[in-house]
Amino acid sequence: MRIAIVLLLLVSLLVPSSARAADRVVAATLDNGLRVLLLEDPRSPIVSFQVWYRVGSRNEHRGSTGIAHFLEHLMFKGTPSHGPKQFARLVEENGGQDNAFTSQDVTSYYVDIAADKLDLLIDLEADRMQNLLLDPKEITSEREVVIEERRTRTEDDPGGFLGEEVSSIAFKAHPYGAPIIGWMDDIKRVTPDEIRAFYKTYYVPNNAIVVAVGAFRAADALEKIKKRFGRIPRGKATPPMLAVEPAQNGERRVVVKKQAELPIVYMAWHVPNHRSDDAAALEVLSTILAGGRASRLYRDLVYQRQLALEAGGDNSYFSIDPNLFWFWATPMPGQTPEKLETELSAHMERLKTEPVTDEELARAKNQLEAAFVYQDDSIHQRASLLARFELIGGFALKDSFLAKIRAVTAADLTRVARTWFVPERKSVGVLVPKS
Amino acid sequence: MRTRVELRAARRGRARSALALACAVALASVVARGPAGAAPLAHREVLANGIVVLVAERPAVPIVAVRVLTRAGAVYDPADRAGLANLTGAVLTRGTAKRTGPELDSAIEFVGGSVEAGTGRDTITVSMTAQKKDLALGLDLVSEVVLTPTFPEAEVARKVSEIQAAIKRSEEDPGTVAARALGRLVFDGHPYGRPVEGTRESVARLTRDDVVKFYRERARPDTTIIAVVGAITVDEARREIMARFGSWARPADPPATVAAATSPATAREETVKRELTQTTIMFGRQAIVQTDPDYFPMAVASYVLGGGSASRLYTRVREESGLAYAVFSWVAPWRHGASFAVSAQTRTAEAPKVVAMIREELARMGREPVADRELALAKQYLIGSFPLRLDTSGKVADFLVAVEDRGLGLDYADRYKERIGKVTAADIQRVAVKYFPPGAFSLVIVGETK
Repeated sequence: MRIAIVLLLLVSLLVPSSARAADRVVAATLDNGLRVLLLEDPRSPIVSFQVWYRVGSRNEHRGSTGIAHFLEHLMFKGTPSHGPKQFARLVEENGGQDNAFTSQDVTSYYVDIAADKLDLLIDLEADRMQNLLLDPKEITSEREVVIEERRTRTEDDPGGFLGEEVSSIAFKAHPYGAPIIGWMDDIKRVTPDEIRAFYKTYYVPNNAIVVAVGAFRAADALEKIKKRFGRIPRGKATPPMLAVEPAQNGERRVVVKKQAELPIVYMAWHVPNHRSDDAAALEVLSTILAGGRASRLYRDLVYQRQLALEAGGDNSYFSIDPNLFWFWATPMPGQTPEKLETELSAHMERLKTEPVTDEELARAKNQLEAAFVYQDDSIHQRASLLARFELIGGFALKDSFLAKIRAVTAADLTRVARTWFVPERKSVGVLVPKS
Repeated sequence: MRTRVELRAARRGRARSALALACAVALASVVARGPAGAAPLAHREVLANGIVVLVAERPAVPIVAVRVLTRAGAVYDPADRAGLANLTGAVLTRGTAKRTGPELDSAIEFVGGSVEAGTGRDTITVSMTAQKKDLALGLDLVSEVVLTPTFPEAEVARKVSEIQAAIKRSEEDPGTVAARALGRLVFDGHPYGRPVEGTRESVARLTRDDVVKFYRERARPDTTIIAVVGAITVDEARREIMARFGSWARPADPPATVAAATSPATAREETVKRELTQTTIMFGRQAIVQTDPDYFPMAVASYVLGGGSASRLYTRVREESGLAYAVFSWVAPWRHGASFAVSAQTRTAEAPKVVAMIREELARMGREPVADRELALAKQYLIGSFPLRLDTSGKVADFLVAVEDRGLGLDYADRYKERIGKVTAADIQRVAVKYFPPGAFSLVIVGETK
């Protein structure tokens, strides 16, 4: 299971489609600032139509955390011309699958549907970009749904609960320290007026990206998008997010006692994001440590010594602001979290002193490259990846991503490990099962 | 992964629990169909030793997905050896006549591919994905795993303790706990009532000899289906498969059979106490398999009741009452039986109210015909979303082996569309009267109890 998840993660976060794909992307910025990316892919008679807003929990403030995610729920609650529930009904009646997600940096809505329904989607998405009802009665009811979601994901999930605690000690100034779903009291308190103001501020064409991949003619689709979305007036420039996380002066630590069957250990280091020259090396390092069953953490901790039921790591390449490099392990019954923490640290120390082997380096690069190719098989993933690169500076960046990965050397990995994986950047969380 | 950085909304009502994922997979295998009037979904041929080979050409992306399905699932576990098939599947890739497990991992991961084995109720499936250029290596590894596994003693011991730990950990997931208990109630007396992974106690009893014997008896060419999908031609696929699997000898004795599941005499209720803020509610009963003509009305009925975000349960429990984030129903058809289930998670104080709502909605399905618009929406969704179920080589390969295993035929895609299209409100009511009386459902509650 761990392997599948790690590979899935690689596919979903790291890997753009083939290097030449960007050449065929039709890109435009409308007069109102809306960014449009279109890619023809005629293999199946379907289209993935996605709208990405450059807003997430990163744009929230103390006391009203979770508002971006709450608004995401409310985006399905209707406009004057498409009443409550009509969005989902229309999509389902037309054989489409819709969903949405909120992250620290973005809020994304997507529909995968038969390609001849593209006009419908353009109309629905343009409508709710501008005309959301935000009926207080719907907000009252949906608030309870979000609270239930928080109970499922956090209150009743040991891993979810611990992750929230570690983030909150790792960041004391930057909003990345608050949970995406929001603190429980904030979800209960936030008002319809605040939600409306948040919507008006961030759901504007100049803060959004429309991406479509599928069986359509890009020129036609662009005309339709211009015609429908072009009517929406440009909004004010969104307020800048000014918080900067100060340097950390020493290791931070949190211990959670909760009903659980096995302990959990998280370690998180402040690392740079895609803007850094070290970003590609961190990606490779993450793959060497945690990419598959031949990776170091699996082979040593799970397989050879059977200290962990699972162990892994993950870098935050696409993060808008510098974020965390996560490590985690679930000790096998009879093993302690202290032991696993020591072992995870030992792996990090080894990377600082001992170069990785040629085979490990080549394997990690091959895995990252292959994941690019696999990505191309799904129109949904192709669209998502274009958006992810667009968010960090331009969809064409995906063409240079692989070249950066290929250029990483063993010496880079040693240097990067020494630079970033130091105690002054580290936060540790331990979940101790309550007896 | 545990360090979740995105909140993906469960608009389709599928929470992230293991159970919900399993449901999604089951549902996907149900609703997949071939495009109307299109060429056959795949080339099919039966080798002399009985292996069914299915090939679908998808030349655009240079990758190949392979599935080797063998009828050696948990349903064949001896009564006192629950978890044997699952252990066998787990150790299958851990050593072959040519390679150790770590050598196999290194070989496939060096080219960015994957070889995995997974065990379900009916089957063990070996899955491989690789770039076209690495196909020969990938197929070599798959054939070694299927034909010459060595099941090393140390690897069996490793997997035994790993599976036991995973079972222990899963006890903290209320959805898994509920599904396990419900399976026991719904399939009382049938092997489907035992968890695929077994119990910590049953797994402790398993030995390497058990594994070797189980695989020798169950894995055979005439119960094996191979799908090859991607950047490959039919001729090429046939040649590559023949070269590796053509000489696998078919045993003289017939394959083992399994009795079909029959409904237990009485529905039962069970409560599992857990220190949680929510209560997990799961109703279930036996249902009908895909070869039963009533399967199609039941699939539509389930969709109307709790299949999507326009469904009755989603509307009433989530949207109108704010009582749950996840509430949904699903049909899970297997080879020898099927189940129909309804699940919700709600704050503990409101659990009785949600239980009552689900009972009311189940009863209403039989009491009155569904509205025209509800019926149309469900049918249009089930028919119209088909192409989305088959939009990658991996999904096509999964679909092909499932359709073949269940004996549905490669035209199932077209037939499904036609049959769903013909379902009437009267059909749904008839099936609901028969299958949805609330009293016929077993019920599991996981959470704080008084």
